[in-house]
Amino acid sequence: MTRTTNTSSSAGAAAQAAAPIVSLGRRRFLRHALLGSAAVLAVAGGGFAWLRRSPVDQLPVPETIRHLSDAEYHLLHRAAQVLLPVAGSALVPLSQVPVVANIDHMVGLLPAHIRKQVGMGLTLFDNAAVIAGWHGRRFVDLDDAAAVDYFDRWASGNSIQRALSTLVKRFVYIAYWRDPVTWEAVEFDGPVSERWGLAYLGNAPLPQEQGEERA
Amino acid sequence: MRIINVPREGVPVFTAEDVRRDPAMGRRVNVKTEVVVVGSGAGGAMVAYELAKAGRQVLVLESGRYYPSARFTEHLGDTMTQVYREQGSQFNSTADVLFPEGQCIGGSTVIGAGVMQRPPDSLLQRWANELSLPQFAPATVASVFAEVGREQFVHLNEAHEINATAHKVIKGCEKMGFSWKPVARNVRQCALTGHCLAGCLSDRKMSSLVTYLPWAAAYGARLFADCHVSRVLLRGGRAVGVEAVVRDPQTGAEVSRMRVDAEVVVVAGGAMQTPLLLQRSQIPDSSGQIGRNMAVQPFVQVLAQYEEPLYGFRGALVGVEIDEFMESDGYMFFSALAEPEQLMVQGEQAAGAEHIEFMKRYRHLAGLNAFALDEGRGTVSWEGDLETGRKVISWNPSQAEFDKLKHGAALAARVFFAAGAKRVHMPSFRPLHVDSVFELDHTLDQISHGLKGMYSLRINSFSAHGTCRMGTDRFQSVANPQGEVHDVKGLFLADASLLPEPIPAAPHWTVQVMAKQVARNILASASGLFLDGNA
Repeated sequence: MTRTTNTSSSAGAAAQAAAPIVSLGRRRFLRHALLGSAAVLAVAGGGFAWLRRSPVDQLPVPETIRHLSDAEYHLLHRAAQVLLPVAGSALVPLSQVPVVANIDHMVGLLPAHIRKQVGMGLTLFDNAAVIAGWHGRRFVDLDDAAAVDYFDRWASGNSIQRALSTLVKRFVYIAYWRDPVTWEAVEFDGPVSERWGLAYLGNAPLPQEQGEERA
Repeated sequence: MRIINVPREGVPVFTAEDVRRDPAMGRRVNVKTEVVVVGSGAGGAMVAYELAKAGRQVLVLESGRYYPSARFTEHLGDTMTQVYREQGSQFNSTADVLFPEGQCIGGSTVIGAGVMQRPPDSLLQRWANELSLPQFAPATVASVFAEVGREQFVHLNEAHEINATAHKVIKGCEKMGFSWKPVARNVRQCALTGHCLAGCLSDRKMSSLVTYLPWAAAYGARLFADCHVSRVLLRGGRAVGVEAVVRDPQTGAEVSRMRVDAEVVVVAGGAMQTPLLLQRSQIPDSSGQIGRNMAVQPFVQVLAQYEEPLYGFRGALVGVEIDEFMESDGYMFFSALAEPEQLMVQGEQAAGAEHIEFMKRYRHLAGLNAFALDEGRGTVSWEGDLETGRKVISWNPSQAEFDKLKHGAALAARVFFAAGAKRVHMPSFRPLHVDSVFELDHTLDQISHGLKGMYSLRINSFSAHGTCRMGTDRFQSVANPQGEVHDVKGLFLADASLLPEPIPAAPHWTVQVMAKQVARNILASASGLFLDGNA
């Protein structure tokens, strides 16, 4: 069974991660730009369709993934590898933190209209690599260096690019760092009150008034 | 002599679950009271306490859930989902400026860092003289600040409450010749867990949850959680009550409709929610200022790396402030370092190996939040009808505000370098860092305002205010100096929305002082407000 963080506390994380795409959906100019870009990519003809093919599309998706599409799963799986190259460090390996499963869980908690926008944003981020930077390949097929460079370029690009790269990074980083198993490696203490046996002080005493007595 | 019983812990609160279980309440609930208070945060709790203590019948309605301290987990993600408005994702309309706000019994006092700051006397004197608000004259208001301070154990941080992050700020200030001081906080016997933003599990932070609300309840005030007030009821130019919907806090499903008939209505939902309620209620707005003039007190977090481990996330979250620029330029600086998950939302987001290196050095980090006084140009508005409409928060930095925030970030970076920082991370969406003070200006030049300042600097706001400003002129302000809405008898405001201008100080203490004054104004005008006519 795949371990994910609990349902109720993931809702807030999902909302925070998805916020950048909500901004694009709210602003007419940006929404049109987003839709326009997606449309251009979609109808750019057979050449684009040929270029956007990827061997990754043939890879299986775990049965436990319930909310992400296959393409979204592969994108986020690749993004996690690129954004969190923990091998050789003391940080917890991705095999022990179900990053994409956590994102799948978070995405499932989003309202339908935001979920749809997140899907559009992820699709655009993945496919735009074919043209942006003249990679000629989708993001999922970029090698590690090119993928990091893609993130960095988008982080200093236009408003849409900054929002979309933030969207992907937030989902991945929040899904990783909110898991308590990742904290020990950076020596973050997490919850301490019970461990320290802190006394519970309860309500503060009532300010004393003349002619009154506290019971 | 009367004997007042304050419960040892917790507050007696009616919840949606209580309403659902009680067949006598049904799908429609009608309640009569003398005073209904909307909101249970800093302002609402204070008003409820003062009026209940004076013998008035008080009912407090809170849209958030009742979340007793014992349920806090010290996991910020959990707390955000349970007690933060919109699960910690209340953003402006472009979703790049975060406005964290509490939505629970106790409101934002439950999730704040406990920072208590008085505005400069020069500002208060100006309000008294130039805005004809004599209640703010320093000589007059000082005793109210002192009274509120005593009630909540407000004190300057002692030596053990100043952590390693704060010590770096102190060292930098000493070298730069900047004035600094320990932060004043409303906490008793702080246990130094560093989890203030996730709620205080052992009830050391003096939030309304453990002070004014249990005290108000001890004097007979009744509290309802999960109760979303949809509008204020008016009759003949007078507020006569409110309508609300009781919702299941888990599902949002409607449990019951509530109508409260009251002789006085006090709205204290905070600077965001109060104007929205007034707009939904179609309150007469001669000034056109409801929801306008919003000051957001924007801030950016500058992070610095040091050679030695600091464990800057341990200890009291906020240790010291730099007060050098508060009066002259409106800058405030507070030492603080976020926990990892929140850092991912607010802070550095480099990609790949750079991110890993950054997090490997998490224990070497120190943080300084640079707040700037903004121009008060923001708006909050309700768009659409009562049932299906939505809130729109509009604020993006102007070029001048953006430049100010950048300058604040530069000052914070200089303080850190003066204290020996090896690297300073700029608070920009584009990952930028500086390894020497000599690179600072060049790096800052790479952060441009761009399109409305969107997705450039990482900006947050904890302290919106001024959206229903107080004043004497009904064509320029929403409420009169007593806190009563112009042209609506019996409708009072008691929260940060009342602040007449942007203030260069954390507003918590000032809001509680204003709320105490508003409550006393209500009592002083009792003969014209209450049916029993008693003062």
